[in-house]
Amino acid sequence: MTEMLVWALGMALLAAVVFAALGLVSGTDETAVIAPITLLVVLLGVPPAGVFAFFMAAVIAKHITHAIPTTLLGIPGDTMAVPMLPDAQQLRELGAPHVALRKAISGGVLSAFLAVPLAVLFATLLSPVADEIGELAPWIFLAASVLIAFTSRGRWAAVVALVPFVLLVVGLNSFVSGQLGHGLSISFFLGIATGPLVADLFLAMSPVGRTVLQREGPATFDLAPDVRTWGRGIPNPLKVLDRKQTAYTAAAATISSATFVFSPVAMTVLMGELAGSRIRNGYHRLTTMMSVRNGTTESTYIAETMIPLIALGLPLSPMAAGPAAPLFNAPPVYTVDAETGATHNLHDLLTTPQFLVIGLISVTIASLVAYPFAMTHAHRAASWVMRTVSHEAIIGAFAGLILVICLYEGGLLAVMVTLTVGLVGGLMNRSFGVHTGVQFMGYYTAVLTVPAILALL
Amino acid sequence: MARYLEVWGDTVDSRHMALSVALGAGIAAPTFLLARWVFSRTVDDQTLAGSYALLLGLAGCVLAAVVAARLFPPKRVVRESSATLESRQEALDSIAAQGGEWTDPAGLAPQVQQELRQLGLYEVLVEAHEQSRARSAEDGAAGERGTP
Repeated sequence: MTEMLVWALGMALLAAVVFAALGLVSGTDETAVIAPITLLVVLLGVPPAGVFAFFMAAVIAKHITHAIPTTLLGIPGDTMAVPMLPDAQQLRELGAPHVALRKAISGGVLSAFLAVPLAVLFATLLSPVADEIGELAPWIFLAASVLIAFTSRGRWAAVVALVPFVLLVVGLNSFVSGQLGHGLSISFFLGIATGPLVADLFLAMSPVGRTVLQREGPATFDLAPDVRTWGRGIPNPLKVLDRKQTAYTAAAATISSATFVFSPVAMTVLMGELAGSRIRNGYHRLTTMMSVRNGTTESTYIAETMIPLIALGLPLSPMAAGPAAPLFNAPPVYTVDAETGATHNLHDLLTTPQFLVIGLISVTIASLVAYPFAMTHAHRAASWVMRTVSHEAIIGAFAGLILVICLYEGGLLAVMVTLTVGLVGGLMNRSFGVHTGVQFMGYYTAVLTVPAILALL
Repeated sequence: MARYLEVWGDTVDSRHMALSVALGAGIAAPTFLLARWVFSRTVDDQTLAGSYALLLGLAGCVLAAVVAARLFPPKRVVRESSATLESRQEALDSIAAQGGEWTDPAGLAPQVQQELRQLGLYEVLVEAHEQSRARSAEDGAAGERGTP
């Protein structure tokens, strides 16, 4: 027990520091950044408690600091921050960018503390039917793929595009199995997660594709001025938010924790509008929406990871199939058996009380590291990152990381699989709006549903 | 200039990016392969050997990023901008257009009023309230006369 707590504390601290820093680098997509590094932690042999703490603290710390580019620079910290941009922009123009930031992250911290126990509660309510869900998993994944595809920007095109994509995965995997004697999974997963980067790199190499990416010169960013810093000890989110904002954020966190199968972006928009429709004054409405929206992305992040993890062991939510996927499936350490649907992952290795305690430890540590930092040093940190850390360096490091993880799983063949899936997936994303969430579901359809269909024939 | 491209959400110089990718791949992959070769011969537990090699590979990625960041400066122009009076008026209008109303700030909770005073926005909102009241009075009068 003590050993478990030490691992949880240590890994949470490590993740909080690393991801608080990474969150400052704008435009780093949550799936592409969190998933490969979590995967690495799993493969390194960190015990389950440490892995879970690492992931949770990573998500929460990054979520706090990525509000800095969103509010001070007007560039989304990740895809879930997109719905907050217009509100943040208006508060910037009012001359109160730091208020946008503080309301947003205070809502996030409040929601995080609520979402962990709520997720455990909803998972417990769900667990009596977990076995039935497990048996029906192949068909649920099929239905979820179609649903998620239809609600993506690609609409019907995304639904139909599932067919070639699933076939691609099935075909590649059986070819690879013939060559290596075992299938690959991490390489597919990495290909999907980093698809947008792979596709852009191909476009940049091609004289034809380059015209799409061409820019006139360096991008210009307007950094909001450093209006005032927080100088009164450790900040308290409940003092930053007024009573109404606290109540709305807490209500939104509760509702969005329960609806764990829906798209996080959709929930974020919906909760923000619900709160916004109940407040008339323009200023109070904006600050409340900042807090509610950022709180909702936080609670959906947490609930969508924890509920499937505790109740099912199968990645049945957009988050679980995306950034949190290595917690479910990271062979040879964690596995989901394609034929029986049997799992061996965090679901089987940690108990529900352990999920609760480690979850709360992670929220606490991530908040203690990232929240005071973002409240006081946001301006300086954003300015330093924009002026020193070039995007080229980030791209180079990720290219290296993809290569290393692929070589680890299956040598050069794995590298080629990632390149293939990344190119196809990335282009599907770019041209048809088939986002990575749809592709992850497509992957699970290929490994779980396709064998089930073949068994019926 | 043809060298500026937008890749993965930000602007890069195509040559610098190619060199950075070469650095990332050229440092991290050989580090990992060499480490795995060494560890698989010196460490008994083969899973552990693989993990150590991964860790060194990751260190290679971080090293490549540091070198690339030193060699290639960011392609960003950062301006410190402050809201001008003009843009503040625009902001007030656009907030109103998005569904916010400029109600009398005196009607807000004391905590919100205090927040606005600290920001120096209280007077601005009072003014916005007066303006919107004047405007809606005008619209009302226009409506009665039957003009659109």
